Amino acid sequence: MEIIKKKDRDVAHPYIPELQNLFQKGKITRREFLRNATLLGMSAAAATTFLAGCKTEEPVEEAPAEEEVVEEAPAEEEEVVEEEAAPCVKRGGTWTASMQLQLLDHPARLSWVEGANIVRQTNEYLTLTGSDNITHPYLLEKWEASEDVKTWDLYLRKGVLFNNGDELTADDVMFTIGEWLNPDVGSSMLGLMSYLSGMQDVEKVDDYHIKLHLQFGDIAVPEHLFHYPAVILHRDFDGDIIKQPIGTGAFTLEEYAEGERAVFQRREDYWQMGCDGEPLPYLDKLVYVSTDKDAGLAALQSGQVDALYDPRPTDFQALQGVDGLTIRPASTAQCLLGRMRVDLEPWDDVRVRNALKKCQDRAKILQLAYFGEGDLSLDAHVAPVHPAYCEKDIPEYDPEGAKALLEEYAAEKGLELPLKVSLATKNDQAEPAIAQTLKELAEPAGFEIELDITEPSGYWDRWTEVDLGITSWTHRPLATMVLPLAYTEESIGAWNETRWFDEEFEGILREAQGTLDVEARRSLMCKIEDIMQERGPVFNSFWKSVWNVTASKFQNVEAHPTAYDLLYEVWIDE
Amino acid sequence: MKAKTKKKSRLQKFWDSVSLILASRVATVGSIMVLFWLVLAFISLFWTPYDYNASDFLQNLGPNPQNWLGTDHLGRDIFSRLMKGTQVVLLKTRLPGEGNIIIPGGVAIWGVIGSMALGVTMGLNAGYRGGWWDQVIMQILDALIAFPRIVLYLVVIAALGQGDLVVILAISITGAPGVARLARSLAMDIKTRDYIRAAETRGESVWYIMFKEILPNASGPLLVDGMLRVGYAIFAIGTLGFLGIGLPPPDPDWGNMVNEARRNIFSNQLAVIWPALAIATLVIGLNLFADGLREEMTRYQK
Repeated sequence: MEIIKKKDRDVAHPYIPELQNLFQKGKITRREFLRNATLLGMSAAAATTFLAGCKTEEPVEEAPAEEEVVEEAPAEEEEVVEEEAAPCVKRGGTWTASMQLQLLDHPARLSWVEGANIVRQTNEYLTLTGSDNITHPYLLEKWEASEDVKTWDLYLRKGVLFNNGDELTADDVMFTIGEWLNPDVGSSMLGLMSYLSGMQDVEKVDDYHIKLHLQFGDIAVPEHLFHYPAVILHRDFDGDIIKQPIGTGAFTLEEYAEGERAVFQRREDYWQMGCDGEPLPYLDKLVYVSTDKDAGLAALQSGQVDALYDPRPTDFQALQGVDGLTIRPASTAQCLLGRMRVDLEPWDDVRVRNALKKCQDRAKILQLAYFGEGDLSLDAHVAPVHPAYCEKDIPEYDPEGAKALLEEYAAEKGLELPLKVSLATKNDQAEPAIAQTLKELAEPAGFEIELDITEPSGYWDRWTEVDLGITSWTHRPLATMVLPLAYTEESIGAWNETRWFDEEFEGILREAQGTLDVEARRSLMCKIEDIMQERGPVFNSFWKSVWNVTASKFQNVEAHPTAYDLLYEVWIDE
Repeated sequence: MKAKTKKKSRLQKFWDSVSLILASRVATVGSIMVLFWLVLAFISLFWTPYDYNASDFLQNLGPNPQNWLGTDHLGRDIFSRLMKGTQVVLLKTRLPGEGNIIIPGGVAIWGVIGSMALGVTMGLNAGYRGGWWDQVIMQILDALIAFPRIVLYLVVIAALGQGDLVVILAISITGAPGVARLARSLAMDIKTRDYIRAAETRGESVWYIMFKEILPNASGPLLVDGMLRVGYAIFAIGTLGFLGIGLPPPDPDWGNMVNEARRNIFSNQLAVIWPALAIATLVIGLNLFADGLREEMTRYQK
């Protein structure tokens, strides 16, 4: 584990002392400090111990203080291990989960988290965004970013072995990045890492050091390296992970039958060590059985499986109070976003858009659609779990205000209220409930909403085309990762489903993408949120919570905001 | 003699029909079940315990003094929604377009009328005309029958979108082949009768003979079949609603209610059971009614 050493300090990112000052002044939280420090290449353990020093308000610039911290860091870690795990960790056992098993071939082409949950047991990522939404080094020992965040140095861990005995080197990483950037592979990483124009921007410095030369600065590189298709492949990988399951992960793939089951066995020579000094993982075997959600729920209730992939809110309701199960919630930036096509009437008029936004009784929608399990939201695609979120008052339900806006619009256009509109969405998780509740809430304001609810595939065929719709958006650790996807001029034709773009908004967003200072970024986010609320194309009542529901005997289980299964430290306490 | 030829009054005719039903225990039970839902549907036109679309209560409540059948996942009164759902099946059809035009007769009723109209026309033509008419019509109908019914529903709705009229069309198209086969066999039997020969000799047109001579004499079995088809149509609406391609929410139809409540089945089983029970009782009632009626009509003919 990397810790802060005198030598490291010399090469540490110059912004880290500034971060420390901000923390000491109370301008950023502990979590924000950790996020940004790790983003700049500091390991989580080092950042934590760094903070411990800050709390005493000792001048951390002074070398002795830092030295102290450095020396204490391993001891503190050991203490934690002794306190929490060492006396009670037991090895062995099988973990069985219900999850749909899809056709898998090239991991870079993964489109669904279910497939990624299979691949991540055998293959690993350069970084890891944990359940706390903070990104840590993983196969990387550390990373460093230049001040303009256009040059990133990635330092690989040494001594990490693939399950075929080969050592992980920069060649494997170069090969993998090459696959991401190869248009013929068809990886979503290509679009995500648009700041790399090709392999000419990726430089192998030595066997354990790679340098990325970005075309434009982006603070989200570490998060991108944990995007679910971004597992590191062996340099000889030929395109089918089921036929060639070579990776550095804690388990080896024994069997994979699409739509049936997947079986993994423990690896004996995994690089990470457990608290007992032996290699992880603690579990002997993982089994995924492919069932639909209802069958999986019944299997979990009856104890036939130990976990259920990404439970729906109704599953959460049904599983509450079931003996032998532990429910772990996590806040996310996942949402069911109402979106309006600003190139079509009547949504091209900001008054109509704002009128519909005012029709949300957010607490009621959250309760009815999601049993109150989430965080209330502004009408901006920035969530409280995003580090630079700018806190603002949640707008009230205001049908009178909405009606006044609609009347003004109708008078100008010579229309009569109610204004008839069609709301399209999919019959999936909570979308029909949101749609039905909104229809009722918007009636007093003068909207007559006709519902057009189809099966999920029917909606995904036209999600960018409908006038008014509710689209599910997944969690992304940073707001600057999601906003460019859907609210810029260049994203029209791709994921900009509303066709909305705003010069002022884009300027601020570009600035935010290159701004590491969380306070400075927060002030930019304040403006971004204001613009989206004042004239933006989306409305959102709540951010979804997700739950990890696992048999209580399993320890060290974490609820991940994107339902990732991270199992190498899980163990059974019968 | 005059008294014997005097026409029966409407009241007498109605009483005769009622007597025919009451003569059969099966038909009586069936008619009571159907009447129950019909009465509920009429009441719902003017009154439901609560607003059927308003989320006024806690979610997923069991039966209680306030909500006799409990509440659904959105906190809506299930009994009010069941009552309202009866209208869609039996009493009213919403036409597309401006103005929210509603016509009397439920989606199931219009669906059966559509399938009867289409099926009888095709069946009479095939059965009476024979020859290549019979060949072509029966080939088309066989092809339709060979097609899985759910797939046919999906094709129609995917092509035309959702709405009451589209569901009626889907029920009509999928129900017509069965009606046509029955009408054809009846026409083939009846066309050999002397009164048909007489009509042909008089020079009556083909359409006159089919609809004025053959159809009235085939109406008994066709009516009974139609009655059974109302039951099938209710099932079809339920199936479409369950698949999420039926009548658009939030106005309740029973199939949709089952589909929506299915998601919460592990925490609120009753929300699924009530609409399922409603579908089952109405369909069973109609089947019993049609069976009893057929039984009595056959006995009368003998």
